[in-house]
Amino acid sequence: MTEADPTVTAAAMPLFNRDLAYRMRLQFLVEQFYYAEAAALDQRRYEDWLALFTDDVHYWMPVRRTRTSNELDQEFTAPGAVAYFDDTKAMLAVRVRKLQTGYSWAEDPPSRTRHLITNVQILDERDDRLSVTSNFHVYRTRLNSEEDSWIGRREDVLLRDGDSFRIANRKIFLEQTVLLARNLSNFF
Amino acid sequence: MCHESQIPNPGDFFLNFIGEESVIATRDRQGRLQVLLNTCRHRGNAVCRAELGHARSFMCTYHGWTYDLEGRLIGVPGYKNFYHENLKREDWGLVKAAKVESYKGFVFATMDPASPPLEEYLGDVGRLGLGMVAAHGDVAVVDGIQKYRIGCNWKLAVDNLFDWYHVQVSHASSLAAGYIRPPPWTSMDHIVALGEYGHAIGGPRLTREMREQLAKQRQTADSALLDESWRDRPEAQEQLGAVGVESRGHPNIFPNLWIASSGTQLSLRLPHGPGSTEIWWFTILDRNMPPELRKAAIMRANHTFGPAGMLEQDDGENWDQSTRAARGTVGRRYPLNFAMNLGRGVIRHEPSGLAHIDTHISEHAQLWTYRSWAEWMAAEDWDTLRSKGRAQ
Repeated sequence: MTEADPTVTAAAMPLFNRDLAYRMRLQFLVEQFYYAEAAALDQRRYEDWLALFTDDVHYWMPVRRTRTSNELDQEFTAPGAVAYFDDTKAMLAVRVRKLQTGYSWAEDPPSRTRHLITNVQILDERDDRLSVTSNFHVYRTRLNSEEDSWIGRREDVLLRDGDSFRIANRKIFLEQTVLLARNLSNFF
Repeated sequence: MCHESQIPNPGDFFLNFIGEESVIATRDRQGRLQVLLNTCRHRGNAVCRAELGHARSFMCTYHGWTYDLEGRLIGVPGYKNFYHENLKREDWGLVKAAKVESYKGFVFATMDPASPPLEEYLGDVGRLGLGMVAAHGDVAVVDGIQKYRIGCNWKLAVDNLFDWYHVQVSHASSLAAGYIRPPPWTSMDHIVALGEYGHAIGGPRLTREMREQLAKQRQTADSALLDESWRDRPEAQEQLGAVGVESRGHPNIFPNLWIASSGTQLSLRLPHGPGSTEIWWFTILDRNMPPELRKAAIMRANHTFGPAGMLEQDDGENWDQSTRAARGTVGRRYPLNFAMNLGRGVIRHEPSGLAHIDTHISEHAQLWTYRSWAEWMAAEDWDTLRSKGRAQ
């Protein structure tokens, strides 16, 4: 599969017929939601983070491959094939429990992370569901001198929950093909 | 190199390494497997830069020298005007592997023409290891190879696959979180088989009673990994023999191919110098698996190994720190301990010729792997390795 081009998709969406004030308010709410999510991860409040997802969420990071330009439609693995994350809510909860045991060695001593979320674009709004793309830079430093850095894009389905949201689906597209970090013991 | 299911058609290719050198595994127009060194004969440029895909030929992007799927040089820009048709193109094909062979669909290659035939190289133990995958049925690689780098020496990652001692500590968090359950087997009943050229299998014995117990547990949603019922199919019994059917240990095809998790995943540990290893994970399943079971098996594979794997996150941390912490001037003066239950097992010979040790949990297979590595590094030729590499 390939990444959709968000700008092309966006042009046809009904959201763009709404007035600017409406769109600015929605943009503000979504951005504030993402900043709060990033803070929960960086402060290791994993249960608070988990509560941001719907019970039927699929949290997914496919495998990306270096391919020639004529085969870029097969750059990412498709759903149902091999992936790095392929998680239900229950699986995410297992990962959170693992981190809280005190013997999750890849995270003990814990990593120090900073999640930077940018380029937030609301692509669509249908009923109470938003389709949103955002870019991220996750910086991690560990032990005395180890550094990892992941840059990529997330594609979320957000479900309205008052003035906040819940994440009903998350796709994570990393830029790297061979991952240059020794693990993915953090969330994106 | 790959499994044949990854390159079913002429022109399909998959890049891998021999040592640290890039090679192209492909299929020519006649459907034959080819393994070609990925370096142009003119200035050495890579002629293939995608990890996988489909090609009619491999053209160097520097000056345009072009090679067919058998590695023959078929195109040289300026052949007439600049080379005056004097260039003997048949002498300037891509370097080809000296031998390319496959066993039950697994493709191997070597640059050494003096190497033994593949079946002999694999021996009883290597064949049994690959047989554990093949015995699942009509197997094919699932799309997507997980690839990532750990700052560890590759031998530590290989050592770990025989290690049934680390689970309770390394994976304590996955046990406590309920991801893995205490298994039915015991640490007091293990089978170790040491093979020629360094291959080995080591781990717990999975008796028929344990398999029946696991089959009952399989009724719960998260237990697809624990499905060991394939071992009781007549074809599997015939292929694996009595020892293979009961051997739940992970086989290693020396030096660096791990057959893991009951024959549904394979891992290559590719060295990039002494302090860096690229880990590749292949998931390989029976094409005829019921869809629900297949889905569960792929998800379980995605969750267990690889960089986000519930188990391998913590393994990687330990291998990386072992490599860093043990390489100091003082640290290297002192031996590491490989003493657990050595020499306390009973050696048995099967009618098939396979020899194995019935033992408690032990470090026989790790020691065998390091010893074999030292012999490989010192040996002048295959005869020397052959004469030393006898487990019996």
